[in-house]
Amino acid sequence: MKLYREKAVRPTIPTASMADIAFLLIIFFMLTTSFSPVKTSVELPESLERSEVDPNAAIVAISAQHELVFSDGESPGVDLQTPDQLGSLIEQVVMREPNKQFIIRADRFVPYRNVDEVLEALRSHGAREIGLLTEQKTPRRGGR
Amino acid sequence: MNLRSRRSSAEVPTASMADIAFLLIIFFMLTAVYSTTRGMEFAFPKDDPQQLNVQPEEAIHIKILGEGQFRVDRRSMALDEMGEYVQSKMEQNPQKPVIIQTLPEVPYFVMIDVFDLLKQLQVKNVSVPTQSEIARWKVFGIFE
Repeated sequence: MKLYREKAVRPTIPTASMADIAFLLIIFFMLTTSFSPVKTSVELPESLERSEVDPNAAIVAISAQHELVFSDGESPGVDLQTPDQLGSLIEQVVMREPNKQFIIRADRFVPYRNVDEVLEALRSHGAREIGLLTEQKTPRRGGR
Repeated sequence: MNLRSRRSSAEVPTASMADIAFLLIIFFMLTAVYSTTRGMEFAFPKDDPQQLNVQPEEAIHIKILGEGQFRVDRRSMALDEMGEYVQSKMEQNPQKPVIIQTLPEVPYFVMIDVFDLLKQLQVKNVSVPTQSEIARWKVFGIFE
């Protein structure tokens, strides 16, 4: 009796589609992410009321360490030493686009004085539309 | 002479492709700074004489003294009481302006809380004067 000898099959894991999946994920993340030109990390205050702000708006960021960063929305942010420098930068932006929106991205624990200085500069140099960036606040349960 | 060579199947090595792709995903995820694109909007009053007719004496005047410490029309109130007070005033006159004055040392989020509350109550005329404007108004005895 001749026993049939099975040919050995080499074990393989099919990984060909892995790359497809990974690239699909890359493309998904690339399309859904919007990058901020200002990389200052801030802990934003929370609010219930939130509306969409212009993604191309100019940004003024105030960090918890009171650092001031300005970006016109296209070029990367510049660190400012004093709020006085802000005035001329705002003026340049307003001259180019009079209806440009300005966003204030301030840390929640920053004293209001710092925000006020920025508002003052924006107002006196012709900015019209202002946005205050916030995180979504979760409503209190039970109505209290 | 043996002319027949063994056929080896043509193959593109794709095993490392997935590694590269996942490496890219991880790199982008770690370096990305996401931008928040939602917040609260407000517009500065236009330099229009028609709009400057608002009499500050008629407005509800909210003074933020600190976290949870508010003076509304010269009376101390908590945030909830303030909400009820403003709402009752709004029922009488929906166009009634509200002025938010924040002391310089108060953390920014307290002002956002008040601003958010007013937005919830659908107050149309919210005014956030800067320190220099308050100083100017003080001359006329509008502020305490």
